[in-house]
Amino acid sequence: MNRLTSKLQNLKENKKKALVAYLVAGDPDLDTTLDLMHLFVDSGVDVIEIGVPFTDPIAEGPTIQKAHDRALKNNISLKMILELVDKFRETNTETPIVLMGYLNTFISHIDLVQSIGENSADSILVVDVPGELNLQTYGITNPNINTISLISPTTKDDRVESIAKNSTGFIYYVTLRGVTGSSNLNIEEIKNNIQKIQQYSDAPTMAGFGIKSVEDASTLAACSDGIVIGSSIVEMIADESKTKEFGRIGEYLREMKTAIS
Amino acid sequence: MTFSNSNFPDKEGFYGEYGGKFVPETLMYALEELENTYNKLKDNKDFIDEFYKDLSHFVGRPSPLYFAQRLTDHYKSGSIWLKREDLNHTGAHKINNTVGQILLAKYMGKKRIIAETGAGQHGVATATVAARLGLECHIYMGAEDVRRQSLNVYRIKLLGANVHPVDSGSATLKDALNEALRDWVTNVEDTYYIIGSVTGPHPYPMIVRDFNSVVGKEVIEQSKDLFGKMPDAVVACVGGGSNAMGIFHPFIDIKETRLIGVEAGGEGVSTGEHAAPLNDGTPGVLHGARSYLMQDESGQVKDTKSVSAGLDYPGVGPEHSWLKDIGRAEYVAVSDDDALKAFHEVTELEGIMPALETAHAFAYLEPLMKELDSSANVVVNVSGRGDKDINTVAEIDGIEF
Repeated sequence: MNRLTSKLQNLKENKKKALVAYLVAGDPDLDTTLDLMHLFVDSGVDVIEIGVPFTDPIAEGPTIQKAHDRALKNNISLKMILELVDKFRETNTETPIVLMGYLNTFISHIDLVQSIGENSADSILVVDVPGELNLQTYGITNPNINTISLISPTTKDDRVESIAKNSTGFIYYVTLRGVTGSSNLNIEEIKNNIQKIQQYSDAPTMAGFGIKSVEDASTLAACSDGIVIGSSIVEMIADESKTKEFGRIGEYLREMKTAIS
Repeated sequence: MTFSNSNFPDKEGFYGEYGGKFVPETLMYALEELENTYNKLKDNKDFIDEFYKDLSHFVGRPSPLYFAQRLTDHYKSGSIWLKREDLNHTGAHKINNTVGQILLAKYMGKKRIIAETGAGQHGVATATVAARLGLECHIYMGAEDVRRQSLNVYRIKLLGANVHPVDSGSATLKDALNEALRDWVTNVEDTYYIIGSVTGPHPYPMIVRDFNSVVGKEVIEQSKDLFGKMPDAVVACVGGGSNAMGIFHPFIDIKETRLIGVEAGGEGVSTGEHAAPLNDGTPGVLHGARSYLMQDESGQVKDTKSVSAGLDYPGVGPEHSWLKDIGRAEYVAVSDDDALKAFHEVTELEGIMPALETAHAFAYLEPLMKELDSSANVVVNVSGRGDKDINTVAEIDGIEF
């Protein structure tokens, strides 16, 4: 079974919530990204989401945009990211890895995506492909890779069902109208919408976009199967990238883990 | 009067393998809402009447098809006709689209208008129609374009709109589009996004084409009146491609007319320093649509180079990509130097100062008129006037004010 699917099943059976943490590959450099991935795991992260840098990341707020820019200055490519995952897998075969990015980067490297083996990345999340479109249409048919679809507060009920069906990894519920890192969470609306999704689908539903505080994490974990933390980590990575003392990130993730437990 | 009887795009918004809707999920309902509204209104008599009434009384249509005597004499062959979109209110073809889209916004009850702009013409055209309806208006513009198009920035502000300079990426049109899309994702429920070219996710390329098609329809009638047949060639500059699509579209089934799109060749197509994806790009996905794109082997979008802010864009409207592949339109490129030369030439010979974008179309007359029969009628779409480019041209000529 796919590493991501089995991990999320396992957590659900044990009535635990998933902590998903995001970073951009190659920000500030690939060696640091590898260290940070291990730090994530040591701090209680269940799933690592690796941002695949793109020149025009239209769903990202300023924090993650800048991280994409920094990574692109290092000429980070999908090939280098898959090599990074191979290195990570030398010592960690447990933690599922999701590659999150934009369609153009993936379709420029269909051969690479198709060659992903069992002991590599586990899932792909393409931000700019509507949920009901199947990635198979674009030549991504690799059975080792499952796909994650997004549902947002503006998704109409009739589409929720078809989108949920296409998602083989988990359903990513976008918790706000806006780009990553914004801050206008409407907790009641989120709760209602996630309940609606769960009526249509048994797939795990993660809540993400705009989750920063321990309080948000705890409230949202209570009504979902887990939460995704992105911009706040990326901001800390940017702050500490000179000294490379990332202790604060570990501390933050442990607090988040406690908050959702 | 109807807008279009084209079979394209298909139901999913594709022109052959180009187009589509590649956007974050949050925008899907807004695109659907827009598509439904447009499909309902485009055959509605009141809506059509209101649109054409605004085009005559507010924009000043129809624009003339003008015989360029001295330019014709200069090339010593054929007859050159100018479609005078530069005479429109606000000075470019861009107003045709904004007049139409602001009506859609009005019918949809949207209170807030956003737009991206490159050369500033679309920003001015959007701020103009927003002012006319008293709607809040925000224009995103690359910081580099804010610098080189300062006159238009001031015009937009005078019209009561807010200009947001965009520093990210290459700080030009593509980055302004990114930022406008981010605004739309955030404020999607009360905001109407007036895209300024035949780019972006479906249904935009179709809507912008349909509103601009008035240009080509007029040319067909005017050609009959003025020289009794269809033109042998229609020439237009192509950045995103809205002026070209507007004049090309009604001609698609008129096979005797060659359709020639002129892209920005920058330093020359062979140098790689240009903005000519149809000449030197490959298919990719940017800003919600699949189309020819300037990208590297990793799928990253390349920086572009052009003296003209309005053509300085790495992508192009999906229908142009399709017209290129099926061979219905030809796409060529003209360098900065040749465009600047044409800018001066047309200004001096005709007393018409074209926009630097338009100057690219004029520059292609040099090879084209040699190639065509001496009886040929050629129509150039004068997409906009050049006042906005005076600072750029003066800087290049080493003149300080």
